[in-house]
Amino acid sequence: MSPKWRVRILIGLVVAVVAAAIYLPVLKKRVKRQAQVQQKSEEQARRELTQSLNANSNEPKVKAKLYWAADGDDSGLSSTTVELPLSNDPTLRAKQVLNTLLAGPVDSELKTLPSDAALLAFYILPDGTGVADFSEAMTTSIPSGIQSEQLAVDSIARTLSENVPQVKQLKILIHGQEVETLAGHLDLTGTFPVNANIPAKK
Amino acid sequence: MVILDPAHGGTDPGARGTGGVRESDIVLEMAAQVKRGLEAQGFQVLQTRTANENPSFDDRSALVNAQSGAIFLSLHVSSTGLSGTVRVYAMPDMALAPANGGLIPWEQAQAAYLPLSRKLGDAVQGELAQKFKGSPAEVQTASIRQLRTTAAPAIAVELSSVSIPDKADLDKLLPGVADAIVRGVVTFRPSYVTAAPASISSAPAAGAKP
Repeated sequence: MSPKWRVRILIGLVVAVVAAAIYLPVLKKRVKRQAQVQQKSEEQARRELTQSLNANSNEPKVKAKLYWAADGDDSGLSSTTVELPLSNDPTLRAKQVLNTLLAGPVDSELKTLPSDAALLAFYILPDGTGVADFSEAMTTSIPSGIQSEQLAVDSIARTLSENVPQVKQLKILIHGQEVETLAGHLDLTGTFPVNANIPAKK
Repeated sequence: MVILDPAHGGTDPGARGTGGVRESDIVLEMAAQVKRGLEAQGFQVLQTRTANENPSFDDRSALVNAQSGAIFLSLHVSSTGLSGTVRVYAMPDMALAPANGGLIPWEQAQAAYLPLSRKLGDAVQGELAQKFKGSPAEVQTASIRQLRTTAAPAIAVELSSVSIPDKADLDKLLPGVADAIVRGVVTFRPSYVTAAPASISSAPAAGAKP
Protein backbone atom coordinates (compact mmCIF):
# COMPACT_ATOMS: atom_id res chain seq x y z
CA MET A 1 0.00 0.00 0.00
CA SER A 2 1.42 3.41 -0.92
CA PRO A 3 2.29 5.84 1.85
CA LYS A 4 -0.37 8.23 0.55
CA TRP A 5 -3.12 5.68 1.10
CA ARG A 6 -1.77 4.80 4.52
CA VAL A 7 -1.98 8.45 5.52
CA ARG A 8 -5.53 8.71 4.20
CA ILE A 9 -6.63 5.60 6.10
CA LEU A 10 -4.98 6.90 9.25
CA ILE A 11 -6.71 10.27 8.93
CA GLY A 12 -10.01 8.49 8.33
CA LEU A 13 -9.55 6.44 11.49
CA VAL A 14 -8.68 9.49 13.55
CA VAL A 15 -11.77 11.31 12.29
CA ALA A 16 -13.92 8.26 13.12
CA VAL A 17 -12.54 8.06 16.66
CA VAL A 18 -13.07 11.80 17.26
CA ALA A 19 -16.62 11.61 15.90
CA ALA A 20 -17.40 8.63 18.13
CA ALA A 21 -15.94 10.40 21.15
CA ILE A 22 -18.27 13.34 20.48
CA TYR A 23 -21.40 11.42 19.45
CA LEU A 24 -21.41 8.46 21.88
CA PRO A 25 -22.01 10.49 25.08
CA VAL A 26 -24.90 12.26 23.32
CA LEU A 27 -26.32 8.91 22.24
CA LYS A 28 -25.89 7.51 25.78
CA LYS A 29 -27.76 10.49 27.22
CA ARG A 30 -30.61 10.01 24.73
CA VAL A 31 -30.92 6.30 25.52
CA LYS A 32 -30.95 7.01 29.27
CA ARG A 33 -33.61 9.68 28.84
CA GLN A 34 -35.72 7.35 26.74
CA ALA A 35 -35.48 4.61 29.38
CA GLN A 36 -36.61 7.06 32.07
CA VAL A 37 -39.53 8.22 29.96
CA GLN A 38 -40.49 4.61 29.31
CA GLN A 39 -40.33 3.71 32.98
CA LYS A 40 -42.38 6.77 33.94
CA SER A 41 -44.93 5.88 31.25
CA GLU A 42 -45.06 2.30 32.52
CA GLU A 43 -45.66 3.35 36.09
CA GLN A 44 -48.08 6.06 35.02
CA ALA A 45 -50.05 3.51 33.01
CA ARG A 46 -50.18 1.13 35.94
CA ARG A 47 -51.29 3.90 38.24
CA GLU A 48 -54.00 5.01 35.83
CA LEU A 49 -55.17 1.43 35.43
CA THR A 50 -55.51 0.88 39.14
CA GLN A 51 -57.09 4.29 39.65
CA SER A 52 -59.61 3.49 36.95
CA LEU A 53 -60.41 0.34 38.93
CA ASN A 54 -61.63 2.60 41.68
CA ALA A 55 -63.38 5.12 39.47
CA ASN A 56 -65.26 2.65 37.31
CA SER A 57 -66.24 0.33 40.10
CA ASN A 58 -69.88 -0.66 40.24
CA GLU A 59 -69.63 -1.65 43.86
CA PRO A 60 -71.70 0.30 46.33
CA LYS A 61 -69.84 2.80 48.44
CA VAL A 62 -68.99 1.58 51.91
CA LYS A 63 -67.14 3.17 54.78
CA ALA A 64 -63.45 2.33 54.79
CA LYS A 65 -60.96 3.23 57.52
CA LEU A 66 -57.62 4.49 56.33
CA TYR A 67 -54.64 5.31 58.50
CA TRP A 68 -52.44 8.32 57.95
CA ALA A 69 -50.14 10.23 60.30
CA ALA A 70 -51.82 11.67 63.38
CA ASP A 71 -51.94 15.45 63.48
CA GLY A 72 -49.68 16.75 66.23
CA ASP A 73 -48.15 13.35 66.93
CA ASP A 74 -45.17 12.69 64.74
CA SER A 75 -45.02 9.00 65.55
CA GLY A 76 -48.62 7.85 65.57
CA LEU A 77 -51.40 7.07 63.14
CA SER A 78 -54.90 8.40 63.00
CA SER A 79 -57.87 6.79 61.27
CA THR A 80 -59.97 8.58 58.70
CA THR A 81 -63.24 7.13 57.47
CA VAL A 82 -63.89 7.56 53.76
CA GLU A 83 -66.64 6.25 51.55
CA LEU A 84 -65.30 4.09 48.76
CA PRO A 85 -66.74 1.64 46.29
CA LEU A 86 -65.13 -1.49 47.69
CA SER A 87 -65.19 -4.90 46.10
CA ASN A 88 -66.09 -8.05 48.04
CA ASP A 89 -63.07 -9.67 46.42
CA PRO A 90 -60.28 -9.28 49.00
CA THR A 91 -57.48 -8.77 46.46
CA LEU A 92 -59.33 -6.06 44.61
CA ARG A 93 -60.49 -4.55 47.87
CA ALA A 94 -56.90 -4.36 49.09
CA LYS A 95 -55.83 -2.61 45.89
CA GLN A 96 -58.66 -0.10 46.25
CA VAL A 97 -57.82 0.85 49.83
CA LEU A 98 -54.08 0.95 49.24
CA ASN A 99 -54.46 3.18 46.18
CA THR A 100 -56.59 5.52 48.24
CA LEU A 101 -53.94 5.43 50.96
CA LEU A 102 -51.30 6.32 48.38
CA ALA A 103 -53.40 9.21 47.10
CA GLY A 104 -53.11 10.68 50.58
CA PRO A 105 -55.33 12.64 52.96
CA VAL A 106 -56.68 16.14 52.39
CA ASP A 107 -53.84 17.50 54.52
CA SER A 108 -50.82 16.39 52.55
CA GLU A 109 -48.59 16.92 55.62
CA LEU A 110 -50.15 13.79 57.08
CA LYS A 111 -49.19 11.51 54.21
CA THR A 112 -47.31 8.39 55.24
CA LEU A 113 -46.41 7.16 51.77
CA PRO A 114 -44.51 9.01 49.00
CA SER A 115 -46.82 10.82 46.59
CA ASP A 116 -45.00 9.45 43.54
CA ALA A 117 -45.13 5.81 44.67
CA ALA A 118 -47.47 3.42 42.84
CA LEU A 119 -48.94 0.06 43.78
CA LEU A 120 -47.87 -2.19 40.95
CA ALA A 121 -49.56 -5.36 42.18
CA PHE A 122 -51.25 -6.94 45.17
CA TYR A 123 -52.09 -10.59 45.76
CA ILE A 124 -52.93 -12.82 48.70
CA LEU A 125 -51.14 -16.11 49.23
CA PRO A 126 -52.98 -19.18 50.61
CA ASP A 127 -51.45 -18.61 54.07
CA GLY A 128 -52.95 -15.11 54.27
CA THR A 129 -49.80 -13.20 53.33
CA GLY A 130 -50.73 -10.08 51.41
CA VAL A 131 -47.95 -9.24 48.95
CA ALA A 132 -47.84 -5.55 48.06
CA ASP A 133 -45.54 -4.70 45.17
CA PHE A 134 -44.67 -1.03 45.00
CA SER A 135 -42.73 1.05 42.50
CA GLU A 136 -39.18 2.14 43.27
CA ALA A 137 -40.36 5.54 44.44
CA MET A 138 -41.53 3.80 47.59
CA THR A 139 -37.89 3.40 48.63
CA THR A 140 -36.30 6.40 46.93
CA SER A 141 -38.83 9.08 47.86
CA ILE A 142 -39.68 8.07 51.42
CA PRO A 143 -37.84 10.14 54.07
CA SER A 144 -35.00 8.02 55.42
CA GLY A 145 -35.30 7.15 59.09
CA ILE A 146 -36.59 4.43 61.39
CA GLN A 147 -39.60 6.50 62.47
CA SER A 148 -40.80 7.50 58.99
CA GLU A 149 -40.23 4.04 57.55
CA GLN A 150 -42.06 2.38 60.44
CA LEU A 151 -44.95 4.81 60.07
CA ALA A 152 -45.24 3.98 56.36
CA VAL A 153 -45.42 0.24 56.99
CA ASP A 154 -47.79 0.66 59.96
CA SER A 155 -50.20 2.75 57.88
CA ILE A 156 -50.32 0.04 55.19
CA ALA A 157 -50.69 -2.80 57.72
CA ARG A 158 -53.33 -1.05 59.80
CA THR A 159 -55.35 -0.03 56.75
CA LEU A 160 -55.34 -3.61 55.49
CA SER A 161 -56.25 -4.88 58.95
CA GLU A 162 -59.36 -2.71 59.06
CA ASN A 163 -60.59 -3.37 55.55
CA VAL A 164 -59.27 -6.74 54.33
CA PRO A 165 -59.54 -9.30 57.16
CA GLN A 166 -58.26 -12.07 54.86
CA VAL A 167 -54.76 -10.56 55.05
CA LYS A 168 -52.87 -11.85 58.10
CA GLN A 169 -49.39 -10.59 57.36
CA LEU A 170 -47.86 -8.15 54.88
CA LYS A 171 -44.92 -8.67 52.55
CA ILE A 172 -43.55 -5.67 50.69
CA LEU A 173 -41.76 -5.99 47.36
CA ILE A 174 -40.22 -3.22 45.31
CA HIS A 175 -40.71 -3.62 41.56
CA GLY A 176 -41.27 -7.32 42.02
CA GLN A 177 -38.12 -7.87 44.06
CA GLU A 178 -37.43 -8.44 47.72
CA VAL A 179 -35.17 -5.66 49.01
CA GLU A 180 -33.19 -5.54 52.23
CA THR A 181 -34.62 -2.31 53.65
CA LEU A 182 -37.28 0.27 52.88
CA ALA A 183 -34.97 3.30 52.94
CA GLY A 184 -31.92 2.07 54.81
CA HIS A 185 -33.46 0.99 58.12
CA LEU A 186 -36.65 -1.07 58.17
CA ASP A 187 -36.11 -4.74 57.34
CA LEU A 188 -38.22 -5.81 54.35
CA THR A 189 -36.90 -9.38 54.13
CA GLY A 190 -39.60 -10.71 56.42
CA THR A 191 -43.31 -10.05 56.85
CA PHE A 192 -45.19 -7.61 59.04
CA PRO A 193 -48.16 -8.68 61.15
CA VAL A 194 -51.46 -7.22 60.01
CA ASN A 195 -53.58 -6.78 63.08
CA ALA A 196 -55.39 -4.21 65.10
CA ASN A 197 -52.63 -3.92 67.70
CA ILE A 198 -50.70 -1.23 65.87
CA PRO A 199 -51.27 1.87 68.02
CA ALA A 200 -53.37 4.66 66.57
CA LYS A 201 -55.00 7.75 67.96
CA LYS A 202 -58.77 7.37 68.15
CA MET B 1 -17.50 -4.39 75.81
CA VAL B 2 -19.71 -2.00 73.83
CA ILE B 3 -19.91 -1.94 70.04
CA LEU B 4 -20.97 1.41 68.62
CA ASP B 5 -22.44 1.39 65.13
CA PRO B 6 -22.50 4.78 63.40
CA ALA B 7 -25.04 3.93 60.68
CA HIS B 8 -24.50 4.43 56.95
CA GLY B 9 -21.25 5.90 55.59
CA GLY B 10 -19.33 5.86 52.32
CA THR B 11 -21.67 6.24 49.36
CA ASP B 12 -24.66 5.98 51.70
CA PRO B 13 -25.04 9.30 53.53
CA GLY B 14 -28.34 8.25 55.19
CA ALA B 15 -30.78 11.08 55.87
CA ARG B 16 -29.83 14.40 54.32
CA GLY B 17 -30.84 17.84 55.46
CA THR B 18 -30.59 21.21 53.78
CA GLY B 19 -27.16 22.76 53.79
CA GLY B 20 -25.43 19.42 53.30
CA VAL B 21 -26.06 17.91 56.74
CA ARG B 22 -25.60 14.15 56.45
CA GLU B 23 -26.70 11.50 58.90
CA SER B 24 -23.51 9.52 58.29
CA ASP B 25 -21.37 12.44 59.49
CA ILE B 26 -23.47 13.32 62.52
CA VAL B 27 -23.55 9.76 63.87
CA LEU B 28 -19.77 9.51 63.58
CA GLU B 29 -19.46 12.56 65.82
CA MET B 30 -22.09 11.10 68.15
CA ALA B 31 -20.15 7.83 68.38
CA ALA B 32 -16.95 9.66 69.30
CA GLN B 33 -18.70 11.37 72.22
CA VAL B 34 -20.42 8.19 73.39
CA LYS B 35 -17.12 6.32 73.19
CA ARG B 36 -15.37 8.86 75.41
CA GLY B 37 -18.15 8.66 77.99
CA LEU B 38 -18.21 4.86 78.04
CA GLU B 39 -14.44 4.54 78.31
CA ALA B 40 -14.51 6.94 81.25
CA GLN B 41 -16.87 4.45 82.90
CA GLY B 42 -14.49 1.57 82.32
CA PHE B 43 -16.07 0.03 79.22
CA GLN B 44 -14.04 -1.25 76.31
CA VAL B 45 -15.47 0.24 73.12
CA LEU B 46 -15.19 -0.77 69.48
CA GLN B 47 -16.84 0.89 66.46
CA THR B 48 -18.17 -0.71 63.28
CA ARG B 49 -16.61 2.21 61.42
CA THR B 50 -14.39 5.11 62.39
CA ALA B 51 -14.26 6.91 59.05
CA ASN B 52 -16.38 7.41 55.97
CA GLU B 53 -16.66 3.77 54.98
CA ASN B 54 -19.85 1.69 54.78
CA PRO B 55 -19.49 -1.87 56.06
CA SER B 56 -22.42 -4.11 55.17
CA PHE B 57 -25.11 -4.99 57.70
CA ASP B 58 -23.62 -8.46 58.08
CA ASP B 59 -20.07 -7.14 58.51
CA ARG B 60 -21.27 -4.85 61.30
CA SER B 61 -23.09 -7.74 62.99
CA ALA B 62 -20.03 -9.94 62.54
CA LEU B 63 -17.97 -7.53 64.62
CA VAL B 64 -20.29 -7.73 67.60
CA ASN B 65 -21.11 -11.42 67.17
CA ALA B 66 -17.42 -12.25 67.46
CA GLN B 67 -17.27 -10.71 70.93
CA SER B 68 -18.36 -12.35 74.14
CA GLY B 69 -20.62 -10.36 76.45
CA ALA B 70 -20.84 -7.29 74.21
CA ILE B 71 -23.75 -4.93 73.74
CA PHE B 72 -24.58 -3.16 70.50
CA LEU B 73 -25.72 0.42 69.97
CA SER B 74 -26.64 1.53 66.45
CA LEU B 75 -26.70 5.31 66.07
CA HIS B 76 -29.01 7.16 63.66
CA VAL B 77 -30.40 10.60 62.82
CA SER B 78 -33.80 10.80 61.15
CA SER B 79 -35.15 12.92 58.28
CA THR B 80 -38.36 13.73 60.12
CA GLY B 81 -39.86 13.81 63.59
CA LEU B 82 -40.15 16.34 66.34
CA SER B 83 -36.79 18.11 66.40
CA GLY B 84 -34.79 17.60 69.53
CA THR B 85 -36.35 14.27 70.49
CA VAL B 86 -34.61 10.93 70.64
CA ARG B 87 -36.10 7.47 70.23
CA VAL B 88 -34.69 4.07 71.10
CA TYR B 89 -35.75 0.98 69.18
CA ALA B 90 -35.45 -2.74 69.78
CA MET B 91 -36.67 -5.55 67.53
CA PRO B 92 -40.28 -6.71 67.84
CA ASP B 93 -41.08 -10.28 68.84
CA MET B 94 -39.15 -12.85 66.84
CA ALA B 95 -39.57 -16.62 66.65
CA LEU B 96 -36.84 -18.25 68.71
CA ALA B 97 -35.08 -20.76 66.47
CA PRO B 98 -33.74 -23.86 68.26
CA ALA B 99 -30.00 -23.85 68.71
CA ASN B 100 -28.34 -26.33 66.39
CA GLY B 101 -25.19 -27.77 67.92
CA GLY B 102 -24.67 -24.60 69.93
CA LEU B 103 -25.16 -22.32 66.92
CA ILE B 104 -28.11 -20.00 66.35
CA PRO B 105 -29.26 -19.03 62.84
CA TRP B 106 -27.59 -15.84 61.64
CA GLU B 107 -30.83 -14.45 60.26
CA GLN B 108 -32.50 -14.73 63.67
CA ALA B 109 -29.49 -14.03 65.88
CA GLN B 110 -31.27 -11.29 67.83
CA ALA B 111 -34.21 -13.50 68.90
CA ALA B 112 -32.56 -14.93 72.02
CA TYR B 113 -31.49 -11.48 73.20
CA LEU B 114 -34.81 -9.66 72.89
CA PRO B 115 -35.61 -9.44 76.60
CA LEU B 116 -32.15 -8.01 77.32
CA SER B 117 -32.35 -5.65 74.34
CA ARG B 118 -35.64 -4.26 75.58
CA LYS B 119 -34.22 -3.84 79.08
CA LEU B 120 -31.24 -1.97 77.63
CA GLY B 121 -33.59 0.07 75.47
CA ASP B 122 -35.78 1.06 78.41
CA ALA B 123 -32.71 2.07 80.44
CA VAL B 124 -31.35 4.30 77.67
CA GLN B 125 -34.74 5.72 76.64
CA GLY B 126 -35.49 6.57 80.27
CA GLU B 127 -32.36 8.69 80.47
CA LEU B 128 -33.08 10.34 77.10
CA ALA B 129 -36.65 11.18 78.09
CA GLN B 130 -35.34 13.13 81.07
CA LYS B 131 -33.06 15.26 78.91
CA PHE B 132 -35.10 15.63 75.71
CA LYS B 133 -38.68 16.76 76.21
CA GLY B 134 -41.14 15.01 73.94
CA SER B 135 -39.08 11.81 73.71
CA PRO B 136 -40.92 8.59 74.62
CA ALA B 137 -40.48 7.14 78.09
CA GLU B 138 -39.99 3.56 76.91
CA VAL B 139 -38.24 1.73 74.13
CA GLN B 140 -40.20 1.37 70.84
CA THR B 141 -40.10 -1.67 68.58
CA ALA B 142 -39.26 -1.68 64.89
CA SER B 143 -38.01 -4.38 62.59
CA ILE B 144 -34.57 -2.91 61.95
CA ARG B 145 -32.31 -4.79 59.57
CA GLN B 146 -29.12 -4.12 61.52
CA LEU B 147 -30.48 -5.46 64.77
CA ARG B 148 -31.92 -8.69 63.38
CA THR B 149 -28.58 -10.40 62.81
CA THR B 150 -26.96 -9.19 66.04
CA ALA B 151 -26.35 -11.82 68.72
CA ALA B 152 -26.15 -9.44 71.66
CA PRO B 153 -28.38 -6.99 73.52
CA ALA B 154 -28.92 -4.50 70.71
CA ILE B 155 -30.74 -1.21 70.26
CA ALA B 156 -30.93 1.59 67.72
CA VAL B 157 -30.91 5.19 68.92
CA GLU B 158 -32.39 7.77 66.52
CA LEU B 159 -32.09 11.53 67.03
CA SER B 160 -34.54 13.85 65.26
CA SER B 161 -33.50 15.25 62.87
CA VAL B 162 -31.33 16.42 59.98
CA SER B 163 -34.13 18.87 59.18
CA ILE B 164 -32.90 21.19 61.98
CA PRO B 165 -31.90 24.22 59.86
CA ASP B 166 -28.69 25.07 61.70
CA LYS B 167 -26.19 22.22 62.08
CA ALA B 168 -24.77 23.96 65.12
CA ASP B 169 -28.11 23.42 66.89
CA LEU B 170 -27.96 19.74 66.01
CA ASP B 171 -24.38 19.52 67.26
CA LYS B 172 -25.45 21.05 70.59
CA LEU B 173 -27.72 18.06 71.20
CA LEU B 174 -24.96 15.48 70.85
CA PRO B 175 -23.33 15.80 74.30
CA GLY B 176 -26.70 15.32 75.99
CA VAL B 177 -27.50 12.30 73.82
CA ALA B 178 -24.10 10.79 74.54
CA ASP B 179 -24.42 11.34 78.27
CA ALA B 180 -27.89 9.76 78.39
CA ILE B 181 -26.70 6.74 76.42
CA VAL B 182 -23.75 6.25 78.76
CA ARG B 183 -25.98 6.51 81.84
CA GLY B 184 -28.42 4.02 80.33
CA VAL B 185 -25.67 1.52 79.58
CA VAL B 186 -24.27 1.88 83.09
CA THR B 187 -27.73 1.25 84.55
CA PHE B 188 -28.17 -1.80 82.33
CA ARG B 189 -24.74 -3.35 83.01
CA PRO B 190 -25.61 -5.24 86.25
CA SER B 191 -28.63 -6.87 84.52
CA TYR B 192 -26.45 -8.20 81.73
CA VAL B 193 -23.72 -9.54 83.97
CA THR B 194 -26.20 -11.74 85.80
CA ALA B 195 -28.75 -12.59 83.07
CA ALA B 196 -28.43 -15.12 80.26
CA PRO B 197 -30.05 -14.85 76.80
CA ALA B 198 -33.47 -16.50 76.53
CA SER B 199 -33.43 -20.31 76.21
CA ILE B 200 -29.68 -20.53 75.81
CA SER B 201 -27.72 -21.66 78.85
CA SER B 202 -24.49 -20.20 77.54
CA ALA B 203 -24.28 -17.58 74.84
CA PRO B 204 -23.12 -19.38 71.71
CA ALA B 205 -21.65 -17.55 68.80
CA ALA B 206 -24.08 -16.94 65.93
CA GLY B 207 -23.68 -19.29 62.98
CA ALA B 208 -21.40 -18.23 60.16
CA LYS B 209 -22.84 -15.38 58.16
CA PRO B 210 -24.09 -16.28 54.71
